[in-house]
Order: sequence, then structure tokens, then C-alpha cells
Amino acid sequence: MPHRILVIDDDPDIVDALAVLLEGEGYEVHTASDGEEGLARIRELNPDLIVLDLLMPRLDGYGVCKTLQDPRWSKWKDIPIIVLTSVSEDASQRRYELETGVRMDVDDYIEKPIDPEVVLERIQKAMARREK
Amino acid sequence: MRKQLLYEISKPVIAAVGVENVLRAIVESITKGTGAKGCSLLVLSPEGDKLYRRMSYGISKEYIDKGPVEIDETMREVLAGRAVAVKDALHDPRVQYPEAAEKEGIASMLSIPMRSYGGIRGVMRIYTSKRRDFSKDEIDFLDSIAELSGLVLEKEEERDRVEQEAEKARQELHRMSDEHEHFLYFIRMVAHDLKAPLAAVQSYIKVILRGSTGPVNEKQRTWMERSVKRIDGMLQLISDIVDLSKLEAGIIAPELETVSWKSVLESCVEVARGLTDPKGIELVVDIEPDLPEIFGSEVRLCQLINNLVSNSVRYTPSGGRIFLRAWQEEDRVIAYVEDEGCGIRPEILPKIFNDFFRGDPEAQEGTGLGLSICKRIVEMHQGQIWAESPAPGKSAGTRVTFVIPKGAICNLYYWGRYKEGKS
Repeated sequence: MPHRILVIDDDPDIVDALAVLLEGEGYEVHTASDGEEGLARIRELNPDLIVLDLLMPRLDGYGVCKTLQDPRWSKWKDIPIIVLTSVSEDASQRRYELETGVRMDVDDYIEKPIDPEVVLERIQKAMARREK
Repeated sequence: MRKQLLYEISKPVIAAVGVENVLRAIVESITKGTGAKGCSLLVLSPEGDKLYRRMSYGISKEYIDKGPVEIDETMREVLAGRAVAVKDALHDPRVQYPEAAEKEGIASMLSIPMRSYGGIRGVMRIYTSKRRDFSKDEIDFLDSIAELSGLVLEKEEERDRVEQEAEKARQELHRMSDEHEHFLYFIRMVAHDLKAPLAAVQSYIKVILRGSTGPVNEKQRTWMERSVKRIDGMLQLISDIVDLSKLEAGIIAPELETVSWKSVLESCVEVARGLTDPKGIELVVDIEPDLPEIFGSEVRLCQLINNLVSNSVRYTPSGGRIFLRAWQEEDRVIAYVEDEGCGIRPEILPKIFNDFFRGDPEAQEGTGLGLSICKRIVEMHQGQIWAESPAPGKSAGTRVTFVIPKGAICNLYYWGRYKEGKS
């Protein structure tokens, strides 16, 4: 059965590009355009991995990470998350720490624009870590 | 001479006890010393049409509250510089409020001009409860005291003016820094909005190039690869502008911490190898162990060194060498990045740290902001940066050296200082 990846990003072009890339590699790709929709999809689909943008309307990526820390979401808290954003890792970690007091617990951090090889490699790594 | 002397005496006295206390002492001493009923210092309004009681002694509140004194014939005479004595305050037509004077128990009045450097400040008025004359000696002496009062008032006015101007300057500065911050905020927002569509386009092209959407012919490949390069350039420019605006606004405060030079340099060497190895350039590293720690921004210090290395890589041919050295000398850390590239023409050497300066305007690589960002980072850490070309002791190449004091404390008000220094 193919691995199921949920892409949460408000930029439809990024979503399209990623979907084509990942589907071409045999992944099953689902998408959501903001954090709230993303959380609904997580419950519904139980994905193997999440690619998450940070700056989004309604609920942003920080909000998704925070929600997944909530005990009520414990069933989904171990899904690997790869952050894919135009915000630098350093800046977003600081913001998250400032708001929550803890570091953002994500598996990887990739800055936009997408470099296909990098994205694929990081996804494979995160999946491999999970399967161990 | 007399004015100068009084002025010299008044200065330390004012400094020691303050204007209010000096003026109070004057009216009180005069009243007691001359056996008068009371004494008032009346100060000319800014428009010069009224006199206000600045300080009084021995006079009832009711009398003071009757309001400002109009400038009549007598006052005009006093303000012209002559002392005027009124022996019979109740019947002399020169008295403005004879009834009030009677009620207050005033029999005679002496009005003396308060001179100062800037002209006559107002009038010192002495009130007696018994009708009396004022001798010339007495008037002369009181004239000195009136002059002293004038000088004190002038000093106060000057101090108020300086304080007002300082306050105005502070407000102006505040307003300017607000505007500045707004502008920088605007830049960051625009930058983000520029970056998002570029990133989307770039992502599409890269996915196509990878073949995910089907085969790509040679021509398409070449053009898309060039497009990727052009977009990379724009993204770099945008991120440089954002960095610059962050450095200018001093909003890197959260990045500040105790930074170890060792870890900065080690991570820079790793990044540098990633740039030099693929190009077949040899990276020669010579970093002194036991470099001190500083309070600064690790991210920015890495950015500084990475920028310098990436410049060197750009101008060094394959097979060339790049040197990265760092050592401690007395209370500072000195580091340089040196290459064996074509060097920098002497006429442009002084300009290379300017914003948007490009050595080769035709060159498509580089944003012209790299070195100006480096300069800001170094200066923010209270250091200095300079370039030498050809590199010292060599016939070619460039060496960029920076020096950062050991105990450097990153200066957040850096941009303000920078602006002042520039003007």
C-alpha cells in the first residue's frame, strides 16, 4: 500500500507542484489549504507524513503543531511532520518557542522554493525513521 | 564688570540650590534686610505687554491673585532702565490699584529693573508698610540684587529653552524611528509577498525539470535551467533586502546570546567546504583554538563569514585556494577570508561595502548587498571590516579582514548610530 502524505499549504501552486512530484514517486497525496482543514484531514485520513506550511490563514502551521501536542490528539502526535515554508528555520523556531516555551517538534525543516531532490530525500528519511 | 561678577556668583549658586531657591532667598533677604513689608519679582510676559509675579515674599495671596500688572507709564519707565520710587502709594496717580494697595497695607513702593544679558527681564518691586523715601545708596544696592535676579531668570529661561529643544528633538527622533520601523516592516511584508510567487514558479520549474510531468527536450531544459538561475538571483536579492532591513531595524534582538567563536567558525567551515569542494578549490583553514566567547548573534556571524567565503568562491578559479584564518590578538578576534582570484581594482576598493555596489555591473551573479550586510553585522558587533587587494604579500587576490572586540556587546541601537555617522 502506498504511503499517504498530507500536504497542508495555502499556496495552490506549491500544492500542485508537490502533488505532481510526490504522486510521480508513488505516494498517495492529499491536500488541505489551511491548518483547520489540515487537522480535519489528519483525523480523517490518518496520514503517514505531513508536509506543513507555516504561514497560512485561519489556523497557521504553528497552530497545527500546537494542537497535535494536545493530549486529545495523542493518536496523531507521532505522525512525522516536515515543515516547508519561506520563513527561515531560525526565525520560526524562535517564534514558536516564544509562544509555547518549547521547541517546535518537527522531523525536518525545508525552505521554499521546493528542490525536488531535497524534498524527496527528506520525506524518505522521515518515513524510514518512523518505520524503525 | 558688575554684571560679569554677579553672573559668575549666580552660576554656582543656581547649580547648587536651584533657581527657585535662589529667587526665594532674594525676595526674602531683601524684605528682611531693608525692613520692608514684602518684595516681588515681576517677569515680563513673552509678548512684553504684561508683568507676572514670579516670586513674592510678605505679600498676601489675595494681592498676588489680582492678576498681572499692566504696563503703564511708570512700568515703561522702569523697563526703560530707571528705578522708580512711589512714596505715597495711596494717593500717587501712578499706582494702578490704590484700593488694593491700601487693603494690603502698602505705603511706599520701589520698582527696579531686572537687567540681564538679554535686556530687561522684568521688575523687582519692594513694598513698605510705612511711608518712606529710598536713598540713592539703597537704590544702587538693590539695583545689583535686581540685576542678579535678572541673570538668574535669564538662566532659567535658557535652561527651559534647552529642555524644550531637547524634548522636541527626542520627539522628532521617536517619530523618525517609528517611521523607519514602519518602512522596514513594509519592506519585510513586500519581500514576503514577492518571495511566495517566485517560490511557486521555481517549484513548478524544478518539478518539470525533474521529469515528473513528462520528458523535457534539450532546449526546454536549457531555458528552464536559466530561469531557475534568474529566479534564484531574485530570491537572493529579496532575502538580502530582508536581512538588511532586519539589521537596520535592530530586530535581531532575540538572536543575541553568548556565542562561541569556535562553533561559529566550525559551522562556517562546513558550509565553505560545500562551496569550495564542487568547484575544485582548496580551502585552507587556520583557526586558533581557545577563541573567546562574545555576546552576539551566531546566525549573523555565520552569515558574515559565509558571505565572504561565497564571494571568494565566485572569483576563484578551479584549482585555486581560499584561506580562512582566525586568531585572538590582545582583546580582539581577527579573522580574514583570502582568495587567489582576480582581485579588486583599486578605484572601486573603497566602494565595495556600499549598498547595491557591484564591481562588475554586467555580472548577473550577486545582489550587491552581500558586503554591505557584512559591514552592518561587523559594526553591530562593534568591530571593523576592510578589504585589501592584492592580498598582503601577494601579487593578486583579495583579503577581507574583520576585527571584533572580545567583549563585544551587540549594539541594537546600531542603526541610529549608523545614520548619525553617515550624515
